[in-house]
Amino acid sequence: MSNIGEMIAFVFRLATPLLMLIIIILCFRALRSGRREEHALIVLDDELNNVRYPVLFWENTLGRSKGSDICIPDITVSRDHAVLLRREAGWFITDTGSKSGVYVNNRKVSGRHPIFVGDKITVGTTTLTLNRADAPLDTTQRRKIKPVSPPKASSCSAILSLITTLIIVLTVEGAIYSGSMQAFPHALIFTAILWGFYQFSVKKLSRKSFELEALALMLSGTGIIVNALHDPKQAYTQLVALCIGIVFYCFMIWFIGIPDRVMKWRIIIYGVAVLLLGLTLLIGKNINGAKNWILIGPVSVQPSEFVKIALIFVGASTLDHLQTKKNLFGFILFVGICIGMFFLMSDFGTALIFFVTFLAIAFMRSGNFKTVILAIAAAVLGVVLILTFKPYIAERFQAWGHVWEYANAAGYQQVNAFICSASGGAFGLGLTKGFLQYVFASESDLVFGLISEEMGLITALMMAAVIGGFMIYARGVSTRSRSAFYSIAACTAGGLLVFQAALNIFGVTDILPLTGVTLPFLSYGGSSMIACWGLLSFIKAADERTYSQVKPKKLTPPKNPSA
Amino acid sequence: MKKIGSRSVMILILTLAFFAGLVYHTVNLTLHTKEWVASPMNRHLPEHDQLEYAGKIIDRNGVILAQSINEKRYYNEDEETRMACLHIVGDNSVNIATAIQTVYRSSLTSFEFNGDFLFGLGLPTMMDNKNEIDIIGNDVTLTIDSRIQKAALKALGSYKGAVFIYNYKTGEIICMVSTPTYDPQNVPYDIETNDKYDGAYLNRALSASYPPGSTFKIVTAAAAVSEIPDISKSAFDCRGTDTIGGKPVTCFQHTPHGHIDLTEALAKSCNIFFAKLSVALGKDKMTSYAEQMGFNHDITFDGIVTADSVYKVDDASENELAWSGVGQYTVLETPVNMAMISAAVANGGTPVMPYFIQSMGPITKNTTTLGTPMMEKSVADQLRDMMEYTASTYNLNDTFRVCGKTGTAEISDNGDVAHAWFTGFLLSEDCPYAFSIILEQAENGSSEAVEAMNQILASASTGAGAEPALP
Repeated sequence: MSNIGEMIAFVFRLATPLLMLIIIILCFRALRSGRREEHALIVLDDELNNVRYPVLFWENTLGRSKGSDICIPDITVSRDHAVLLRREAGWFITDTGSKSGVYVNNRKVSGRHPIFVGDKITVGTTTLTLNRADAPLDTTQRRKIKPVSPPKASSCSAILSLITTLIIVLTVEGAIYSGSMQAFPHALIFTAILWGFYQFSVKKLSRKSFELEALALMLSGTGIIVNALHDPKQAYTQLVALCIGIVFYCFMIWFIGIPDRVMKWRIIIYGVAVLLLGLTLLIGKNINGAKNWILIGPVSVQPSEFVKIALIFVGASTLDHLQTKKNLFGFILFVGICIGMFFLMSDFGTALIFFVTFLAIAFMRSGNFKTVILAIAAAVLGVVLILTFKPYIAERFQAWGHVWEYANAAGYQQVNAFICSASGGAFGLGLTKGFLQYVFASESDLVFGLISEEMGLITALMMAAVIGGFMIYARGVSTRSRSAFYSIAACTAGGLLVFQAALNIFGVTDILPLTGVTLPFLSYGGSSMIACWGLLSFIKAADERTYSQVKPKKLTPPKNPSA
Repeated sequence: MKKIGSRSVMILILTLAFFAGLVYHTVNLTLHTKEWVASPMNRHLPEHDQLEYAGKIIDRNGVILAQSINEKRYYNEDEETRMACLHIVGDNSVNIATAIQTVYRSSLTSFEFNGDFLFGLGLPTMMDNKNEIDIIGNDVTLTIDSRIQKAALKALGSYKGAVFIYNYKTGEIICMVSTPTYDPQNVPYDIETNDKYDGAYLNRALSASYPPGSTFKIVTAAAAVSEIPDISKSAFDCRGTDTIGGKPVTCFQHTPHGHIDLTEALAKSCNIFFAKLSVALGKDKMTSYAEQMGFNHDITFDGIVTADSVYKVDDASENELAWSGVGQYTVLETPVNMAMISAAVANGGTPVMPYFIQSMGPITKNTTTLGTPMMEKSVADQLRDMMEYTASTYNLNDTFRVCGKTGTAEISDNGDVAHAWFTGFLLSEDCPYAFSIILEQAENGSSEAVEAMNQILASASTGAGAEPALP
């Protein structure tokens, strides 16, 4: 290798984390700034007491308890009295088992009942009048969003150009170090996907923001280029998976666009997921110690990855049963069956992900610490029982915490990841210059170590931070989303991604046992790639801007109220 | 929604924990950079023939047995010392499987990383000052005394054989010599072809097992004392030859020993007495006691695995069982095992595990560990008295109180000269040594083994062997 080439590659190595940092900062700044401020959508006026209650959310609990979104200090109002909902068709009120009932225009209502401006809603002894917020309501929405999100194309195409630059930098650096142009076709195809998806999203779907997708594409693209430099054939599979993932992502956003549709399909998804896992147990192939693969011709699929999406569907689709805790049973059964089957497949990592996601969903829905503690106690008991009867499972994790003592046995992968990460330093040894690539599972389980060694710790940390950033973003948009379903789904999908990333990264770095789960978007694995895009769609869907262009809102009563 | 907003804080905390974990990893990585980069498992480090940079190998008195100067390996300047210590130190190749330079080749060097975490090993070659990685040698200090080694080599003379001496209280190996040997500095050109060097790569003290002959009577005696009540009071008339299982069992040169008890039988090495004992004890008990004393499994110390001693009588006839009780039939024993049995007798029934690496690099390995018990303390005490009485009949220097037993091991039925054995220990506070020696096919039988050990022990008492180990 010539000195000039080496020097260029060195500069590229230093430039990589800088480029990535700029992309990340631009994306998250755009994601923050495009957000609607918390203005009232409508207001409820208690004309008798001259109190005005702003209605801030798409789904609002109404009751006497302090935690209610609309808190009415009237002892005749039940603690959890009713839910005020906004749907495509307009506003609705649902009685959630109150003592005194809900009256609209002095008529007692049950179930979901439409309400319109000027309607009088009576709960207990309080009568509230539904009014528009200060400005005419149907333009409030548009006005609040429009000023902060002008046609974003310019800023977003800047981000995309930076990502393209990053991919070029990585590809050229890889070519200098490996002396082979094998990653060039991948870089070309990826860039086409990047811009194609962007054009489709902005032009066809008229989405206003593309930052979330841009970040996920940056991770996927980096993963694919690293993969292509080590194994170009594998990387083509990964490119195909990325395309399928993007299509799946778009489909998911369309599918969950109407919460009622999700509710209708819930049971079917439930059944299909359980059947899929059952099928895996029956005809599944054992690859590398876990029997969680199904071979369909030349393609091997990991159904457990897709069942993660079903988990969020089943768990989060509560709709307007916002306050009821009774319907947790079916969900607990689902999670129990899935975790049981993961244990039979020896896929302990996914079992753990399911359990933690279950805890998150259960807590988000019930707010009950007791449930969470009870579930953890049950799980600890279960693990103790399993380890008593099947002690060999513990042997798989014996190296945890003292990998150096098992440096040539169970701790081999982690020790090598440590050594290689330390050798790589902050800026890495250069793509393809590492040795971790020769260690088993380097591009799936150990990918964090591989990136750390070849691209440096800073880059590796930033990529991990992006996944953490998804979660923070998901929480940020959750209270502004159109339904509790979106909020819960986004937070738990984000939590799942973060927890999975934690299991992967901390598995390699010996903070947690090595369980062999993938690092979202970065690890090699088609099923994982598709599933990660699926999970990301929940976060995207929670941002009310996603659906803002399709919003025929009716706030004035129709001519014929029965229609 | 307000509730969901506040509940999602829990997941936010999970995310913060994730970031905290990343910070922890970063701190951990930066703190351990030097150590992890310098790990011998790191394949980014330069390759080299490790002996070029290997550390010194030093005996207990500070005598340098091997060292590397200017990327070349030098052994002790004295040829006899080099030859005497060959099987411990090893040579430039890896021919001697149990030698330090074979077993611990990679531990004799280590790396030092002078760079920092910022660039790791990732600086381009023209910016790298090339001194990021240093190769440093790790010195090894042994418990071996090279002067006693030399005396042992001399005492073995032209015989093939082995000497093994270790401190039965601490486990330090003082002397371990195997012949034939050669000079590692000037490896003979005809080493592969000349019969003189047949088996020179083998450390016979650890890796060879021989018929133990009469030295095995210690094992039979231990079993008998443990199992047969009043054995010390029973006596027997030896006529020099007897028939057991329809075939003859004879004493040495068919000499009748007359009316003898167990103590006399051991001292006079009466075959018939011990043959009868082993038949009386039976296959199961004999096997069980032999296995307790180290037969049928290997011994591991300092990462070195020795050959197995063998006692297998499953298919033996009664006559063959009788012969096994005097260390013939198919019985085999390693010199190190034999010394450990003597050490067990000396030490109240439980031997101390031998070792010869005192320290390696920064690590001090000086640890005295007990082996598995071989016999009851009362049995050991009784055997000690019997072995002291036995040794009093040998022609030994009176500097020490010696307990011991010789052996003459027949190696074939067609009159080949037998191997000569002597094993035992010193009743001495200053020199608590257990020993074994074998001279293959010694012309004058076991008295030659006694004489050789006598010379070695004399050098141990006058030489540096009595000095305490280096700190």
